[in-house]
Amino acid sequence: MDKILEVKDLNVIFHIFKADVQAVRGVNFELNKGETLAIVGESGSGKSVTSKAIMGLIPNPPGEITKGSSILFEGKDLVNYTEKQMEKVRGKEISMIFQDPMTALNPTMKIGKQIMEGLVKHQGMSKQDARNRAIELLKLVGIPKPEQRVDEYPHQFSGGMRQRVVIAIALACNPKILIADEPTTALDVTIQAQILDLMRDLQKKTGTAIVLITHDLGVVANMAQRVAVMYGGKVVETGLIDEIFYNPKHPYTWGLLSSMPKLHAKMDKLLAIPGSPPDLADPPKGCPFAARCPYAMKVCTNHMPEYTELSATQKAACWLLDERAPKVAPPETIGVGGNQNG
Amino acid sequence: MMATVNQEVSKELFAPADIDHSSSERIAGESVSAWRDSLRRYVKSVPAMVSTIIIALTIVLSIVGPHFFGYGIDDQNINLQNMPPKIPGLTWIPAFDGKYQGVDVYAQKHIKKAYWFGTDALGRDIWTRTWSGTRISLIIALVATLVDIFIGVTYGSISGYIGGKTDTIMQRIIEIIAGIPSLVWIILLILIMQPGLFAITVAITATSWIGMARLIRGEMMKLKNQEFVLASRTLGAKNSRIIFRHLIPNSLGMIIINTMFSIPTAIFFEAFLSFIGLGIRRPQASLGSMINEGFRVLMIYPYQILFPGVIISLLLICFNLMGDGLRDAFDPKLRR
Amino acid sequence: MVRFILKRTGYMLVTFYIVLTLTFLSMKLLPGTPFKQAQKLTPQQLNTLKSYYGLNDPIPVQYVRYVWNFIHGDMGGSFQYGNEPVTDFLFARFPISLQLGINAMIVGTVLGILLGIVAGINRGKSLDWGSTMVAIIGVSIPSFVLAAILQFFFSVYWRIFPVAGWGGFMYQALPTLALAIGVTAQVARFMRTEMVEVLNQDYIVTAQAKGLSRATVIYKHAVRNAMIPVITIVPPMTAAVVTGSLVIENIFNIPGIGSQFVDSIVTNDYPMIMGTTELYALLYIVSLLVVDILYQLVDPRMRVTGGKA
Repeated sequence: MDKILEVKDLNVIFHIFKADVQAVRGVNFELNKGETLAIVGESGSGKSVTSKAIMGLIPNPPGEITKGSSILFEGKDLVNYTEKQMEKVRGKEISMIFQDPMTALNPTMKIGKQIMEGLVKHQGMSKQDARNRAIELLKLVGIPKPEQRVDEYPHQFSGGMRQRVVIAIALACNPKILIADEPTTALDVTIQAQILDLMRDLQKKTGTAIVLITHDLGVVANMAQRVAVMYGGKVVETGLIDEIFYNPKHPYTWGLLSSMPKLHAKMDKLLAIPGSPPDLADPPKGCPFAARCPYAMKVCTNHMPEYTELSATQKAACWLLDERAPKVAPPETIGVGGNQNG
Repeated sequence: MMATVNQEVSKELFAPADIDHSSSERIAGESVSAWRDSLRRYVKSVPAMVSTIIIALTIVLSIVGPHFFGYGIDDQNINLQNMPPKIPGLTWIPAFDGKYQGVDVYAQKHIKKAYWFGTDALGRDIWTRTWSGTRISLIIALVATLVDIFIGVTYGSISGYIGGKTDTIMQRIIEIIAGIPSLVWIILLILIMQPGLFAITVAITATSWIGMARLIRGEMMKLKNQEFVLASRTLGAKNSRIIFRHLIPNSLGMIIINTMFSIPTAIFFEAFLSFIGLGIRRPQASLGSMINEGFRVLMIYPYQILFPGVIISLLLICFNLMGDGLRDAFDPKLRR
Repeated sequence: MVRFILKRTGYMLVTFYIVLTLTFLSMKLLPGTPFKQAQKLTPQQLNTLKSYYGLNDPIPVQYVRYVWNFIHGDMGGSFQYGNEPVTDFLFARFPISLQLGINAMIVGTVLGILLGIVAGINRGKSLDWGSTMVAIIGVSIPSFVLAAILQFFFSVYWRIFPVAGWGGFMYQALPTLALAIGVTAQVARFMRTEMVEVLNQDYIVTAQAKGLSRATVIYKHAVRNAMIPVITIVPPMTAAVVTGSLVIENIFNIPGIGSQFVDSIVTNDYPMIMGTTELYALLYIVSLLVVDILYQLVDPRMRVTGGKA
């Protein structure tokens, strides 16, 4: 498969109040043409920072992408791009949609104009052409009466409709990659499904590769082909969707799956992962999950495990996968379809 | 199938770790009370601290300054009119060399003593008058601000806490008062009461309490529906207890910040009124009345407006900087 | 929208009516008689004078007459200028004050917005610190002290501008500057806060993510949104400019209503004081109204809901 984006050893540090917060610590993943990769993790795991880093939107200062990090887009390293060069990538090659459609649109600008801006900038369209394209885009994302609504302001749209507008803005220039940062978190459940359907449909039509950032495994199951699980600024496990759901290897992935509410299972209570994420201003030397891991061993606190290649597509960073470690079976609570491989 | 294994990792490290899981919920960092934390932030702000020191110095000088040389504020000496400033030891600074247009007036008149800030058209010592004027300005500002806090907090608390019709009526009244420029209020009140210390204080208070009342009302409306107030009420606390133990202490930061901005406004209005002739009357002096007198001889004796002008500007700048510092310290969210 | 304007105008009229009543009452409460040499007059003469001016009628009658006269543009006669109508003075002098005030507002707002933008986009850097300092000093130094400084250096010491008087640019420059600096400082502080706030909004990131240049993002998205709330500080600015103009006109000897007002205070010319007071109040109240209406027009969020957000 064609790699379109390859993130290698990405490190992002925020220099805040004397402390250096290492928000992203050596993240690696790649994205293939036309596929959807989900990056999953709880708040503070570094997933949003990763997406901002790809867009070159890490504010500097206080943020810094450290030396040795690289973000290869079609083989070219975006980390070395100047601001001017990045402007030509943003919106044209890589676009982004945001979590909260209520605040993501400029309240005092007509939505048509907000869609047209990118078209005029990247494709040199005339105002009239851009406007026609904007109407087309609104129709594409399923907004009724686009000819009329193109001249309306964001407050005249509902939350779901606004998110459609945000998607229209992102897709305006047919980008090769779309980064969706929690695109449905702020929406009602019924609207969530509509937006996800829309994104899947549009992906089929345009062939855009999607990086989907979420903490909602339900959304992942619906949308993605591959999953990267992030914790404490690191990718702890990555694999095809079936591998992650049916044969997860990292205890954090187990925890995530266990905490997912299930419709048919008999459960007295929702399972939570006890504890809170590590302080990234002073990250643990070893596995970031060690302090919360029910299977933690002495080795975990001080030594960061390396990736164990479990298949051509799946790998996880956990000492339990070491041959010297005791064999541990994943808890039954993760059960989506059982875990035959133990 | 296994990846490369770290050589330094020995077999025994694969024993279960004894990690205290309760400790992962521990909050790192020492816990500091909100007030201590605010104070710490305030002390760290350089402009705010410099301002505090300058204001403290000014207050001290306004108390002891008038007694330095034993002159009264209205002691006139026709022989020593318009003497330029002279400070022994600082005569190398052009402003304090005791010379007027190159002539050493002190030598000319055979005067041994030195007037540090010079004398005015009536031969009064400007040093003495400047500091006692500063004192009067500060007293007016302080009294006006205290009354303003009292009225504003009371009015705002009642309006915001009771709400409903009472609030509507009280807000209409405020709207009407705020619709009239404060200058108009102040001038009408002073004309009726006759210019003087009392009239100025009342007139300044009459307009400045509105800002405070609005602020407090807003805080009350916000706070009274919060859980901790609800909890207190569920436990049977009376209204007075809720207001005095919960609402006002929680608005205290706001009150202090607003006070810091009320003081300079009051100082300004006093000076302004004295400058246009509606303020302090002879024999008293305030910074405003001195600037007025100094302005009349600006072309000939510019030093006479210099000292009161510099002191009032310094005071206003410092109070504003202190206000900014306090705002940042109490409410880091407002820091922008 | 029309209903909104009507409602606001109604409020405005009520407020102004209250001002009118207040000025009338304070006239009645003022100590002494309005006649210059009252002590020299016999009680009989005084009485004749009083009844000539209708001062012997019951207060309510006088009040109704006062309001009636006001509606018909009669504010009474000036004491210090041989009973000449106050309105004549105000009409003759108001345009000058208005010109000065508008000058100051325009210069101050433009400078203030620029300063605020510079500070806002350079938050935390030395440019921000510098312009914040300038703003604090501008807010703090009283306009009359500033005017004295300007006059001393530019007119007396360097002799660039005329010391006093009114006329073309040369005459207007210093008083405009003296009045404008306060406005600049107010607007700059406000604008900076708004800029910082707006630059933290999500839609700024959206705009950046579209690939717009930094300049476009700042100009088209940030500045526009940050400028809208600046309208709300027009009324306090008007009040500040009016207050300032009292002393500035006096200092630069400008024949506007401000210097007239200070004169009337010194000479106890009550009808003139009241007339000017009413004019100032009207000005302020109208500026409040204009702001309310402007806000409705400028912010699209306001247009549909029609109320305050």
